This record gives sequence, C-alpha cells and structure tokens, in this order.
Amino acid sequence: MIALALRYLVARRRQTILTLLGIFFGAAAYVAISGFMLGFRYYLVDQLVNNSAHVHVLAREDFLTEHGLDESFYGKVVRHVFWSAPPSGRKDNAIVESPQSWYQRLAADPRVAAFSPQLTANVIFSKGKATASAALVGCDPEQQIKVTTIGDYVTEGKWSDLAAGGNRIVIGDELRKKLGVYVSQTILVSSANSPPTPFKVVAVYRTGSMQADIRAYGAITDVQRVNRTPNQVNEIAVRLHDYTQAAALANTWAALSPEKVESWDQQNANLFSVVAVQETIRYLSIGAIMIVAGFGIYNVLNMTVVQKRRDIAILRSMGYSGADIIWLFFSQGLILGLSGVVLGLSFGYLLSLYLETIPFGAGPMGRGAGHLIISFEPAIYLQSALLAMLAALLASVLPARAAGRLAPIEIIRAGAD
Amino acid sequence: MSIVARGVGKVIGHPPNKVLSDITLEIRDGEFVALTGRSGAGKSTLLYVLSSLDPVSSGTVEIAGRDISRMREEELCRFRNEMMGFVFQFHYLIAELSALENVLLPARKTGQAAQRTPSAKRLLEQFGLEGKHERLPRELSGGEQQRVAIARALVMDPKYLFADEPTGNLDSVNGQTVMDIIRQTNAQLGTTIIMVTHDAHYASLAGRQIQLADGQLIPAA
Repeated sequence: MIALALRYLVARRRQTILTLLGIFFGAAAYVAISGFMLGFRYYLVDQLVNNSAHVHVLAREDFLTEHGLDESFYGKVVRHVFWSAPPSGRKDNAIVESPQSWYQRLAADPRVAAFSPQLTANVIFSKGKATASAALVGCDPEQQIKVTTIGDYVTEGKWSDLAAGGNRIVIGDELRKKLGVYVSQTILVSSANSPPTPFKVVAVYRTGSMQADIRAYGAITDVQRVNRTPNQVNEIAVRLHDYTQAAALANTWAALSPEKVESWDQQNANLFSVVAVQETIRYLSIGAIMIVAGFGIYNVLNMTVVQKRRDIAILRSMGYSGADIIWLFFSQGLILGLSGVVLGLSFGYLLSLYLETIPFGAGPMGRGAGHLIISFEPAIYLQSALLAMLAALLASVLPARAAGRLAPIEIIRAGAD
Repeated sequence: MSIVARGVGKVIGHPPNKVLSDITLEIRDGEFVALTGRSGAGKSTLLYVLSSLDPVSSGTVEIAGRDISRMREEELCRFRNEMMGFVFQFHYLIAELSALENVLLPARKTGQAAQRTPSAKRLLEQFGLEGKHERLPRELSGGEQQRVAIARALVMDPKYLFADEPTGNLDSVNGQTVMDIIRQTNAQLGTTIIMVTHDAHYASLAGRQIQLADGQLIPAA
C-alpha cells in the first residue's frame, strides 16, 4: 500500500509539493522561531542567574504614615490625632537589621554556595572637573566573585587588588568614560555625609549592560567609612547550588525576617511576563501555520479520494479491505508529514546556524562576538516534529476514513451509469 | 464448490426500487454462464450479488457451501482475493502503475507479488502484450487495457471469474479477442465464468444462458 501511496503522491507532483511546503514551512518556522526565542530566553536567564546573585536579602525601606506616630506621642488614650503637618518620610537608613544572624543562617544552610554582604551608597565621583553621580557597591571582594560573575568582566587590572583594601576601586567602563579615568589613577568619592575621599582605580570591568557598567565596586569597609555607616550592610547577595530553588528559598527566608528577600526571577518578574507573552505568540503563530498546512493536506487527500474512487472499487473487488484503503490514504498523509518534517527540521537547523552568525549589537542581547543566540535544544526539534506530524495525521484521518467507508458497488454502479 | 442463490431479492435506492426478486439458481463448478437480458433487467446487480460485492436484501447466496452474508469482512476479503476475479466494462486499471504492476495488485495484497510475477508475465504474453509490461495504462490501446484487466483477474488462479460486459467498450476485433481469452480460461483452467452481456453472439459462446427480465429469471424454453 505504501508503494501505491507513493505512486499517487509522485503522480500529482505539484499538489504534493505544495502540500509538502505547508508542513515544511511550519516545521522550519517552529525550529527557527523557537530557537531564536529560547536562545534569547536562555541568554536572559543566564545573564540574570550568573551575573547577579540568586537571592537578594535587602534592607526593607519603611515609610512613616500619617498616623504612624500617634501612639508614640499620645499613647492609647487619644484616639483621634489631627496633625497640621502629618509625619512623612523614610524611617532612618535602610539597613539589614541583624546581618550576623543572617551570616549564621546562610553559612549553616547546605543549599547556599556563597554569600556576600554589600553596602550600596549613592555617591559623587569626580576627577578634575568631571563628575558623575553613581552607585558605589561595597563588598567583600573574595566573596563577591563567588556570588556573581563580575570578576569575569574585568578588562583591565585585577579584581583581586580590591581585597588589599585602602581605598581601592573597580570601576565600570561607562563610568570610567564619563570621568576619563584609567587604571592606577585616583578619583574622588564624596557622599552626602562625608568630604571627598581619594580612591585608586585598580581595575575596569565591562559587562555590556549600560546599567551595570555605570557603577563601581570597593571594599565594604571603605564604603562604610565613606558613607559614615560603619558595620552596616543594606544587602546580602546569596548564590545557591541550584538556582531553580531560589524563589522557594526566598519565600521561606522572607517569612523568617523583617528583610525583603527576593530571588532573581522574582526581581525580574516583569521581564518573564514579557517572555511568557512571546511564548504565547510563538505558539499561536506556529499553530496557525500548522492549521493551514493541515487543511492543505486535508483538501488534497479529499480530492484524491474523489478522483480515485474507481481505484478504491477495484482494490476492494480484489480483496483489499476497508482498513487497507484507509491505510492507502492515511499513509499519504504520513509520508507528506514525515517528508515535510525531515525537510523542515533540516532547513530550520540550517536557518538557525545562519541566524547565529548575524551580528547583534553589544546591548543586553549581545554576548561574546555579539551574535544572535539561537537555541539548538533537541526538545524544539521534537516538538516541531510532533506538532507537524499531528497536523498531517489529523488532516489525513477524515479523508482516509471516508475512503475506507466507500462501498465498491456504489462506485461501480456510478461508473456504469 | 458451486454458487447457489436461494430466493435472492435486491432493493435499492429511495424510494425503494426492487431490482431483483426471488432469484433461485445454481451455477456449477467449471460452468460458463452468460447472464442476459435487456438493459435494466438486473443482470449486473445479480452478478454483483452472486460475487459478494453487493449484499442481498433477502435470500441467501452460497459459494462453495458457505453463506457469504455470514462471512466476516476479513474472511470475505481473503475469499475474494484467492477465489474470485473481476472484469468490468471499464478496465479500472490504476493509472500510476505499469501493466505488470496492475496485474500483480491482487498478489501484492497477500505478499505474493514476487512469487506470482512469472505467471503474470506469462499471462500478459499469452494475451499478446509481450514487451508492454512496463507501459502505463494510458500508453495502451482500449483492447490492450482490457486484456491487462483480464490478466489481473486471473493472476491468482481464481475459481470464479465475474465479468460485467467485458466487451462493452471494445470494437468487434478486440471484443472477439477478449471472448477467446475468456473461453480458453474456462476450457483450459476449468474456471467458473459468470458473464453479463447484452450481445447475443457473445452470450451464445457460453455453455448456458440465464435470462432476466424485470429482475426475475425467465425460465429456459
């Protein structure tokens, strides 16, 4: 039956090729689009997971409310207090209340790979007449490179020089450009609480992200001194052995302390909702292609069944069963589906290889040589094949069943008429 | 191994139209029977009812002692494949297959294509189609196409050959050739032949004629 099915397909070459193209484009588009989108998502996750900590323990910023101080001033006796100028503003500095207990908790947790206390201060950097306002992150340099990949992005100098202490600084490339400063030169750092303090630039880093490259890192003790907040930290960056556990752990820890605890994916929830929308669009567009391809097969097979009624009659008279006839037409859909899938997947793969060579700017999507990142995950190819085969087979079932139900005598009678 | 019809009736269409009524007959093994009658007499319907392609509305048809209406589809298909051959007024060759491939189609059903190839070639040569094995039906004349169809009906060495106006679409020369083949098949192989024809000359070549009028048998004079 397969041999005859093949003959039928070869005999109506044009229809076969057109039908094949539907499945072919569907499968190829799925592979290329999915490869592109998943590649982008993996890159995004990779950047978020590796460049930043998995869990951030952040100082909670509390704000005064209109009646927040009523009880402190008037006790519980007076129930209605009306302020001519209601209290407002932030309650003190945002700091992690008891960092020591956090250090003990994190050190004892086997799921934690490393953690690094940080104090981030908004300061003004200046060199000569050039000034720039940016964040100065105080950290434990040895721990920081265990928690994030910042050390990998150092382009000049050495990150480890930071550990020696004594007002040293590693500066982001964007900030460096603004100040016109080079490694081993000195810049001044001033905060709201302190006069300008000289810091020596020991290294420059460049991640490719504007936001990340417009800041600087120093030893935490130096930053605490400049900020006049000795022993205070406002963030603890935590790296886990398994980053997928981050959200669950963050939720558990958040319940144990007054600090705000967020995982990398919780911090970027908006980004992931955009990715989810992209995924939906991907499935909808590919689904539409597959439906069109399926209808193509359905139409062609339906037409073939009508055209081949006499063949069906003669085959039945020779002892071919209804099931044989169903298989004759169903196998045509199967052959179209399989060929379309093989060609589509191959073309999709080649297209993906080509896409990967397309240069893409050094923005957040760029990596290494600045090329598009395409995923070649086998699951994409498997899904594409399954979807295309499903479309082809569903579209073949109805015409094949109709062919199998045709009574040979009806066709012979119609032929005699 | 005879074919026996008992009280066979056939009703078709809406509103119901009685095409055959109360047909009782027996066709013995090795007989060559011509079903004759005017157009609309029910000849073709009787042929297809006797051959199991068309179910009866009433009565029974037994082939080789077995009631064909009681056979399961699988059994009936095997029975048709191994015991029956069909020749129609139209050749019904598959346009995409060569003459030889068309002849071998029944053998392909049971995986005997390779085994039956020599006899298929022999049949084609016997019917004057040597050197035309690989030709597609459209590359053959009407007479040649019908001879390929007969070869296809005979390739499984059937016990019964059902022919519905096998010469209906042919000129007299080709018609005579086809009739010669059918007669030879009956005489040499002992194949039981039931042939529908409205041609008195071809009917006279059969061993027995069964005449129908308005769906009923006309008793032999």
